[in-house]
Amino acid sequence: MNTSLQLVQDEQRFRSLFENNPDLVLFQNATGTILDANQAFLAHINKPKEQVLHRPLSDFLPPDKRPLFQQKLLEAFRGKKVRFETDVKFDGLEPRRFDITKVPLMDDGQITGIHAVFRDITAVAAAQLMVQKQAQKLHTVFESITDAFFLVDHNWHFTYLNSEVERLLNVQRDDILGLSVWDVFPEEANGVFYQHYTQAISTGQAVHFEGFFERLQMWFDVKAFPSEEGLSVYFSDVTDRVKAHEELYRQNNDLQQFTYIVSHNLRGPLANIMGLVDLLSSAQPASYDFEQIRQHLQLNTHQLDAVLQDMNTILTIRDNRNVVAPEQVLLLDVIEQARRTLEVPLAQCGGSIRLAVPPNVRVHGNRAYLYSIFFNLLSNSIKYRADARPLQVEIESTVSPEHDIVITFADNGSGFDLQKAGSDVFKLYKRFHSQHVGRGMGLYLVKTHVEAMGGHIAVSSHEGVGTRFTIHLR
Amino acid sequence: MDILLIDDNSTSVFLTEMLLKREGFSDNIRSFLAAQDALHYIEQHLPDRAPAVIFLDLNMPVMDGWEFLDALKPHEQELAQRCHIYVLTSSLAASDAQRAKEYTLVSGLIHKPVDSQMIKLIRTEISEQSK
Repeated sequence: MNTSLQLVQDEQRFRSLFENNPDLVLFQNATGTILDANQAFLAHINKPKEQVLHRPLSDFLPPDKRPLFQQKLLEAFRGKKVRFETDVKFDGLEPRRFDITKVPLMDDGQITGIHAVFRDITAVAAAQLMVQKQAQKLHTVFESITDAFFLVDHNWHFTYLNSEVERLLNVQRDDILGLSVWDVFPEEANGVFYQHYTQAISTGQAVHFEGFFERLQMWFDVKAFPSEEGLSVYFSDVTDRVKAHEELYRQNNDLQQFTYIVSHNLRGPLANIMGLVDLLSSAQPASYDFEQIRQHLQLNTHQLDAVLQDMNTILTIRDNRNVVAPEQVLLLDVIEQARRTLEVPLAQCGGSIRLAVPPNVRVHGNRAYLYSIFFNLLSNSIKYRADARPLQVEIESTVSPEHDIVITFADNGSGFDLQKAGSDVFKLYKRFHSQHVGRGMGLYLVKTHVEAMGGHIAVSSHEGVGTRFTIHLR
Repeated sequence: MDILLIDDNSTSVFLTEMLLKREGFSDNIRSFLAAQDALHYIEQHLPDRAPAVIFLDLNMPVMDGWEFLDALKPHEQELAQRCHIYVLTSSLAASDAQRAKEYTLVSGLIHKPVDSQMIKLIRTEISEQSK
């Protein structure tokens, strides 16, 4: 093919590309003078070609934009492609936003000019701004609602969370966005929240539930809505409400126990007294029957008094629950105190105590309660010892991973059938041994005292082997 | 006529025994402070000698009145018509009275203290039924 023909064809192809380009294209020299301008540029500024060529571009620019374009021109003439975005208001026109590229034209190692390509991105920029505004609006909405709110995608990855989530769950947005819920909270990987969320996703139905968040010991009221993006979850802290409900339930239970006491334990001796007084009227004074009746009367009036004193004790503990200031009590001290009180009966039955309590262990609580706990446990051990072997009591204290003080109190006594006793073990006036005198007050007091100090107690027992109490205190 | 008293409270046993003797109810009164001992005694004497009357306390340790009644269920046939059980309790709870009705062996529930009049009433009841 003829070389000059090829050149002509190349020239034509280039012209066409230049002329018909929908972007605004200029060719400028080093001083910024416009040497060529395409149709789109001329059409945009609405001027014929002869009024544009051989004039500097700055003639058509608003004064505030001239330095910017001058600087970019210089950069391009240093031999590199320059790209920038700016608003330009050409003479007599609405302002538009342009994405501008200035490409140097090399000829024999010399820069002979630059092509400036103006792409009108006004519409795109406006759309982008709108999207940003919408996102901001959504963000404002999610920040202004009082609920904690988060979004997860189909892979359980956090895609959004508001600051209430950060506050309630004690997390930082930047730390967990993009992570899986179950990597952030691995302990919940098969828990109550997981179960409800998967149910929502698999059924496509919203779920509403209350769940206990173990890590922070909080109750949450949760609503989760499945969507195409994943799951939106709203939740709020209802710990106080649940706690109040539990407290109410507990108080109701206490009230029921109280009714039970009135029915059985106050009325028991009282009914006896009524019957005895009735008999007394027909008994001969100084007779054998008379003396018997008198003795029974005495016994029952004392029993009646004992029940009333028990109630006084119980009510005092309950009234003082939030009043008595807790202190750091040396554990060994109160155990020793209880042991001394029961020294005589303990020696009489040949019993012994083995202590594995470090001398410096202190528990957060009330000295009188702690004494009462060990006094009652120890006197129970003595009372319900096994006849077949000498009583051995082991008291131990350790520290749990949660920094609780864990006290175990174990004896080798007669024990009881835990299956049968069940939840009654710590109930007031419940007794499990017929051959021993007891009011069924001791373990109730122990539990009440432990709980008043914010702890809890558990028991295991085997008939003929012994009983073991485990107490958690702070 | 064999009469059984089952009550862990010694005063209650003393009172009931005294009233029964005074009313000439029976000379053959046996008292048990533990229900499981009474159950053992009854099982030993069945089927020939069923007690005519049992006065049964409810609130007792180890085996309470209800558990005793449940333990007697296998012997219901042998005891029916021959043995009258009266639940004797200091409880005023309506739920106890309701529950007592569920046991066919229970002839009635008496609130403590039991008195002469009540003993006479029971006596009449028994003699009328055995006629």
